[in-house]
Amino acid sequence: MITQILLVIALVLTLAISVGVRFSLLLLVGLLIGFSLERFGFGFAGPWRRLIRDRNAQGFMAQLVAIGLTAIAIQPIIAFAPGSLIGAIAPVSLTMVAAAFVFGLSMQMILGCGSGTLVNAGSGNAIALTALPLFCVGSFLGTLLVPTAIEMTPHIPVNLTESFGVGGSIALTLAGLFVLGIIASRFSVGSLWNRKLLIAAAILAALATIHVLVAGQPWGVVYGLGLWVAKGAQSLGWDPSSAQFWIHPINANALSTSILTDTTSLTSLGLIGGAALAAWKDSSSQPFNQSVAIWYYLVAALFGLLLGVSSRLAFGCNVGALFSGIASGSLHGWAWLFAGFFGSVIGVRLRDQLWQQARQGV
Amino acid sequence: MSRRSGIMIALVFAVAVVGLDWSLGVPPDPYRAPDPMAFGSMSGASGAICSFAPGANE
Repeated sequence: MITQILLVIALVLTLAISVGVRFSLLLLVGLLIGFSLERFGFGFAGPWRRLIRDRNAQGFMAQLVAIGLTAIAIQPIIAFAPGSLIGAIAPVSLTMVAAAFVFGLSMQMILGCGSGTLVNAGSGNAIALTALPLFCVGSFLGTLLVPTAIEMTPHIPVNLTESFGVGGSIALTLAGLFVLGIIASRFSVGSLWNRKLLIAAAILAALATIHVLVAGQPWGVVYGLGLWVAKGAQSLGWDPSSAQFWIHPINANALSTSILTDTTSLTSLGLIGGAALAAWKDSSSQPFNQSVAIWYYLVAALFGLLLGVSSRLAFGCNVGALFSGIASGSLHGWAWLFAGFFGSVIGVRLRDQLWQQARQGV
Repeated sequence: MSRRSGIMIALVFAVAVVGLDWSLGVPPDPYRAPDPMAFGSMSGASGAICSFAPGANE
């Protein structure tokens, strides 16, 4: 453990000197989030699966607590510093809702959401490692489709803090989370609360708040993944000026500068590293390959690709849209939650059927 | 193969992403780094965020 801590300190200090203190802090936040998610078993796809399949709401309730605590913390500070801090505000649209549905379905097929796929890959999960490269490619392909989607259907951004003020927005957000908690508690069987998951929820909320203070914007995952592939495509001859998404000054700047200065890239790399640190000790005694037919890895790759495309069209994954969107007071976070959950209901059934067939062949 | 092999693959992937970007692109300049924290500084959010919707929220 001491070796791991020294390694992290060395990495963070090196980044602080060679790139900048803000970027080293963001990597540290990513490492801590990845470590916490892996060590505490906190996630999004898994808890939704347990709620749908086993009527176990413990993980879902912890998610609600994490989002609620983050909303209480970040909405006032974003409102206090509107020039330097921004929320994860995105439009609601038909394509956005449809994409969130596809994301919810896809994340059940590989049992990994946006953050979950990175954390699972970092902890050495073979299916997540298969899905991750295609997740990145899909995120890039999604950036090519977003402008068309925006032109095709009305996209309406709704910022609750602008509509109702910070107090009203926080009250509405907490009321919505409370109603969801009541519905989940009626549906679930057994205890609603899990001490370990609640501690993880509090840690995640604290780290998400620190992320806003340092980066000036809420935690996200998929933007960085698409950026990595865009940079790779550019080096292979792709012309970014042909893509409406990438000619926007913000994205053009991200393309022309190092990924070590890109917020979501740093936290996503940190998630992989943090999960690796948390899983390292016990990993030598666990098998790498899962006992499923080889074709299931192709299924994982396909749904990894869908995960990427859909998360861009939905303006974020479970982190950028669901977690940070709702916590910022964006209506699209709520639309994402409902569409993603219905997608997960289908995904849980489909995954069970395919998983059973994949295990029979082994 | 143990799961540790999978962790090594993930770490190689992460290092490869950074290494390729460093070698193919422009290395970062620490002298042009923004303030350590966006909160309370003149250098705020980059705006490169998952919720970015070109043309919809401008």
